[in-house]
Amino acid sequence: MRRSTAAAVGTLTGAALIVGVRLSVQPPAPPAAAQSPVDLVDNPSTPKPSGSAAAKKPAGKKTTAPAQNKSGLKDGTFKGKGSTNPYGTVQVTVKISDGKITAVDATYPLTGNSATINPVAIPKLKQETLQAQSAKVAAVSGATYTSQSYQESLQAALDSAKA
Amino acid sequence: MGTAVSIELADDRPGPELRALIDDVCRWLHEVDARFSTYKEDSEVSRMRRGELTLADCSDDLRHVLNACADLWRDTDGYFDAYAGGPLDPSGYVKGWSVEVASARLAAAGSVNHYINAGGDIRMRGHHPDGGPWRVGIRHPWEADKVSWVLALTDGAIATSGTYERGHHVINPRTGQPARGLRSVTVVGPDLTLADAYATAALAMGEAGLTWLAKLATDGYDSAVVTDDGRAFSSANLPAAV
Repeated sequence: MRRSTAAAVGTLTGAALIVGVRLSVQPPAPPAAAQSPVDLVDNPSTPKPSGSAAAKKPAGKKTTAPAQNKSGLKDGTFKGKGSTNPYGTVQVTVKISDGKITAVDATYPLTGNSATINPVAIPKLKQETLQAQSAKVAAVSGATYTSQSYQESLQAALDSAKA
Repeated sequence: MGTAVSIELADDRPGPELRALIDDVCRWLHEVDARFSTYKEDSEVSRMRRGELTLADCSDDLRHVLNACADLWRDTDGYFDAYAGGPLDPSGYVKGWSVEVASARLAAAGSVNHYINAGGDIRMRGHHPDGGPWRVGIRHPWEADKVSWVLALTDGAIATSGTYERGHHVINPRTGQPARGLRSVTVVGPDLTLADAYATAALAMGEAGLTWLAKLATDGYDSAVVTDDGRAFSSANLPAAV
């Protein structure tokens, strides 16, 4: 039981992050994986299985566990803990039926100035792959502070090639 | 400033005219160095440090620099701090500003196509001699002879701050400790003085700088960042060359 719960949390975390990207929501802070908007462990009130019979029974015993299936995801609607970015709090809700994620929804701040901000316009820096390339450039921007470091820089090589 | 400056003029004008323009830029940069260097005993900045010069009787340029540093201190939540190392040191502003002014002087003298690169901080206008935009590489933070992004700009500024060359030398003014978390921060935008100050401030912030930089995008300042552990980030409108 415990293990499958952990697996479900892991999967939901991944799903919520993917959705976050699609909706242009800034993750809290870039090693974001650790602080996922969906945090079922810290939020015992959130799992609300839709099957009412199962919901009334105390969790934690195998016999009373909600419908479980191959994916390890419990059916129900799961609300994530709010994730706060500079524009307010974003909350992600995930709905699971037959062990599959069937719907994901995110609520955006609706109070104060934040209400006027279109969620799609929330600016963010997107993560990408760091590449090393040798491209044809006219100049190079970099942290070169001294004349000594200039001598060894790509900019110096470009300058001497032009001279 | 102890920095090498590369200047390229791509205007189709007679050689002697271009040389005169470059001489003018060099004269201005040497003048700035003489007046604002913290390494020169008789510079205005050194005299102000010693209390021999007050705000009331300093030059208009120095007053501008001090006011701009104060504005930036406020706009960066205190992370751009001309007093981070103790006594006044406006070098972090003066470098970008002197190049911004130099480029404006070139433009006023009729140079519409040029770039000036002062220690990796670049202000450019117009086009490359081949007629296309200026293509500028951002140095790869681990491989000195490679670039990690290539940007294409016709009019604007690019500034990079990093820890890969002098180590963790940027001080987080909040803690007094060297900033950690980001290895390279590049900011692209219309004005080099702001781009340079924003890059330095974000480096001082560490990883929190990523969120802070994201907010600058609405003001026209895009960014590209590499963290200490090698993750790369860029803002949506970074003018990356195809």
